[in-house]
Amino acid sequence: MTVHDLSRRLLLKGSTFLFASTVMPKIAFAQAPGGRLVVAADSEPKNLNPAIVASNGVFFISSKIVEPLAEASYDGPEGLAPRLAVSWEGSDDGLFATFWLREGVTWHDGQPFTSADVAFSALQVWKPLQNLGRLVFANLEAVDTPDEHTAIFRFSKPTPFQLIRNALPAVTAVIPKHVFADETDIATSPKNNQLIGTGPFKFAEYRPGEYYRLVRNEDYWGEGLPKLDEIIYRVLPDRAAAAGALEAEEIQLAAFSQVPLSDLARISKVDGIVVYTKGYEALTYQLVVEINHRRKELADLKVRQAIAHAIDKDFVVNTIFLGYATASTGIVPKNAPEFYDPSVPTYDFNVETANALLDEAGYSRDANGTRFSLKLLPAPYFSETRQFGDYLRQALAKIGIDAQIVNNDSAAHQKAVYTDHDFDLAVAPPVFRGDPAISTTILVRSGIPAGVPFSNQGGFQNGKLDALIDKANTTVDTAERTELFKQFQRLVAETLPLINVAEWGFVTVARSNVKNVSNNPRWAVSNWADTEV
Amino acid sequence: MKTVSRLIRSPEGLAGLILLALPIAAAIFANVLFPADPLSIAGPALVPPFSDPAFPLGTDRLGRDVLAGLVHGARASLAVGLAAALVALAIGSLVGTVAGLAGGLADEVLMRVVEAFQIVPGLLLALAFVSVLGASLPVVVLAIALGAWTGPARLARAEVLSIRERDYVASARVIGMHPAEIAFREVLPNALPPVLALSSVIVAGAVLIEAALSFLGLGDPNTVTWGAMIAEGRNVLRSAPYLSIIPGIGLVITVLGVYFFAEGLNNALAVRGIRS
Amino acid sequence: MSSIPVLLIVIVGTFFLLELAPGDAVDAYLVTIGGGDPALVQALRESYGLDQSALVRLWVYLTSLAHLDLGWSVQFGRPIRDLILERLPNTMWLMGAALALSFTLGSLLGIIAGARPGSVFDRFFSIGSLALYAVPSFWLGLVLIIIFAVQLRWLPTSGIETIASGKTGLARAIDITRHLVLPVSALGLIYLALFLRMMRAGMAETWRQDFVLAARAKGLARRRIVLRHVARNALLPLVTMLGLQAAAMLGGSVVIESVFAIPGFGRLAQEAVAGRDAPLLIGIIIVSAVLVLIINLLVDIAYALLDPRVGASEGRA
Repeated sequence: MTVHDLSRRLLLKGSTFLFASTVMPKIAFAQAPGGRLVVAADSEPKNLNPAIVASNGVFFISSKIVEPLAEASYDGPEGLAPRLAVSWEGSDDGLFATFWLREGVTWHDGQPFTSADVAFSALQVWKPLQNLGRLVFANLEAVDTPDEHTAIFRFSKPTPFQLIRNALPAVTAVIPKHVFADETDIATSPKNNQLIGTGPFKFAEYRPGEYYRLVRNEDYWGEGLPKLDEIIYRVLPDRAAAAGALEAEEIQLAAFSQVPLSDLARISKVDGIVVYTKGYEALTYQLVVEINHRRKELADLKVRQAIAHAIDKDFVVNTIFLGYATASTGIVPKNAPEFYDPSVPTYDFNVETANALLDEAGYSRDANGTRFSLKLLPAPYFSETRQFGDYLRQALAKIGIDAQIVNNDSAAHQKAVYTDHDFDLAVAPPVFRGDPAISTTILVRSGIPAGVPFSNQGGFQNGKLDALIDKANTTVDTAERTELFKQFQRLVAETLPLINVAEWGFVTVARSNVKNVSNNPRWAVSNWADTEV
Repeated sequence: MKTVSRLIRSPEGLAGLILLALPIAAAIFANVLFPADPLSIAGPALVPPFSDPAFPLGTDRLGRDVLAGLVHGARASLAVGLAAALVALAIGSLVGTVAGLAGGLADEVLMRVVEAFQIVPGLLLALAFVSVLGASLPVVVLAIALGAWTGPARLARAEVLSIRERDYVASARVIGMHPAEIAFREVLPNALPPVLALSSVIVAGAVLIEAALSFLGLGDPNTVTWGAMIAEGRNVLRSAPYLSIIPGIGLVITVLGVYFFAEGLNNALAVRGIRS
Repeated sequence: MSSIPVLLIVIVGTFFLLELAPGDAVDAYLVTIGGGDPALVQALRESYGLDQSALVRLWVYLTSLAHLDLGWSVQFGRPIRDLILERLPNTMWLMGAALALSFTLGSLLGIIAGARPGSVFDRFFSIGSLALYAVPSFWLGLVLIIIFAVQLRWLPTSGIETIASGKTGLARAIDITRHLVLPVSALGLIYLALFLRMMRAGMAETWRQDFVLAARAKGLARRRIVLRHVARNALLPLVTMLGLQAAAMLGGSVVIESVFAIPGFGRLAQEAVAGRDAPLLIGIIIVSAVLVLIINLLVDIAYALLDPRVGASEGRA
């Protein structure tokens, strides 16, 4: 065989291989009036099942396929709109919660939706497997199903219905029993990524690194819904890419601030593009300085107060968030009016006060003007958390604290802060999920084992605060429980286990032909049944 | 000294020196010109260039002085480039010389290691390395050097192989010099010039890899580098393009300067090589 | 066969590098789900076998690799072979086209520049290409997107093809080509300088060689000398360079694929590092090593074809 022959063969072989391995989905689309909505997605969740993984990245896609018992609403009673449940009620002793379910609902495979599905989801998935449900349904003992459309949750200990109600949108995605019952390991089942639900859209296709495609559910229970024929999530990992794709009309919508805040002023002036700042009220992210109380300087309340005084919240809101955020007063955000208490002690921006407090605490400046040095770990998840890290370093320098920033990727940050406690200060973006007991009290409660992300790993311990949290967890009376959380907020503000700096919702940018955007407080992670193009 | 004068007289060498003069001067006098921390917030955010005499080149997203960043960035970027090139050259020439002199199994093993590093894409290696050890300047330097030392190693080995058979090495062996002594006193100095010529490519490449790592979020946050400035500026590329263009110009000048300088040096050395 | 010990070094090296990493696949996963309690964390570690010692896991990995099984990706929950086969073609198109672009354009401009050293052409292209070389690839990519995709709308902003378009055959080939123009330019233009300068230097050298001097003495036309004798000989080192640049371009594609949202190898590697997915990263590195080896084989063949003095067997040495 001559060399020439060889090279030609190699080339030929190579090219057939190339063509064979890029087989394309051959689908023809009927372009009905409903139309197609193409949205940007910046991540590809590994497990798409919202019943197991209650996170916004998963909900963003799966909430269109799998529905919860109720969704958040601007005008509904108790801030809720019914979905798979039409009404609900908790018993006075906190031991029962009854849900009356919607009738005439079918799964995407044609099977009827019944109370057995709810019982299965609650007992086999939410309680044992779900990251948030494990907490909310910790004392769930059984789910009785007296008929096909009634589910009665029985608890071994009093469980406040206020908590369950507030948790409904995030933790109660119902999955079909007949699909998952036979799986040996539900958590790792491949069916988690071939979701069957009751939602307005059916899962159609996933091309890793390229797109997810959902198609209209013709048999959806909502009359005349959904309005769209198809939703395509186009994977755009680089955040700078979404703005360009929107302007080039390759995508029609980018949620979760995929268009960087710094680009909003410009893009809002582009014809045919609308910027929405509503629709994230129930998904409030909080900008928090986590403190390692094992450091002797930081164990001193005066030092923590000094740090709180050193942070110019207006600068953070106006320069880092460009106004798309609110300064925090405490650990419960303003977006949770049911619990929010504005009368907590606050720490105004005052460098002199901060310096005086540090002098008082006995940390005087050395020849370089430095009192002591700290290791600062900004969470890498958002550009704003990193920028705030840069700002905090400068703010601390003004009061004589030398902060060295440590940049880690997600996994390393996770390990350093929440497992190894190898930090002095960290910047974190926890989420407030409608009730302080879901993911907020964990930020300050003591006794949480190492390794739990977004929890108190700073070694802070306050018996009074722990007692308040525990009492609220078993207080059934709504007014009484709310009052306990107000005390909780005040105590957190007084003792400063962490410093709340700002709270923000995201921004959605869409082409102007997309209708009914941001019409509920969890819009990006709701079902989009009424969205039109 | 002759080499230097030849360098200055060659058009490339002169152009290189002129281009490099600016960033080098900036690097040397950074602390004199801008004694404050270049990362400190000096004024309002996003002041455009040439609009405020206090900030001739404007300010960035947080209100940091772009000119101060540019000047201090010259220092960090050049330091990263030179350090990475030095480390790569040191490791590479050491491994290459040892492999070339020792021969046999040692050579075989060392060259397999060199090949192993060669087939792994450099940026990928740097990415993994920095993720693992954390983003700080020394780690970044080492990560870049890890992807760059194989070139010098191969070159050094090839030079050693060709030199070791020459008369003066053979005579050194005859008079009973220790192999290591031969290596460092006779072989290495002679193998060095072509290896040094490679260094310009490494310096330029290092500055760029540092930029790519910053883009991927793996730069050192406590130091300003041009790469980090460009990477940060890309988020406001549409509304404040100057934030990435200004450090970009610095980068282009430096890389051009290094290249011209290296070419001039190459020519100067080549002439010397022929004469000796 | 000699590449097996090399691959083994790469595998073990990569494995222990990721072993040193703070945080494992479970830590990376927990971030994406927004938290979990200790029992969940423990259960996850057990189900991925992460509770076992590093040596046990390395041994398990190597034995399955001996059976040509690349293993299972923790992060994607899929066989690594499938993941790689899915992404490989995209990167090969990107890399192949970028290499071809920088090689042909580079050598072409190199010939023009080298034919008349010191001319305006020479200065312009030599300096211009170097300036391009000094631009970070991600920045060049972003600027190309803004100009050609957003402002002029000539080309798509990102992706490898129009999503779910149902195009087949020629229409699809054209679609993919349109998507590749910008990323290939961003990647290829940067390496242009290397080939251009090498060609130019090679030509300068060849001009001085005896057979060229003889040809010039014979009074052959300048154009003929340039193309027949000088350029052809100067091309040889470029071909070798092509092989050497293959690994570098594979690395460069990490960034370009991220900017242009191309589901390729480089992005998979980035995701593997971020997700602490050691088997996946090792799989990628093995396959890219094999890819580099194949490219070098092709380069050797090309070398043999170009230079009649070198036999095929010598060329491979």
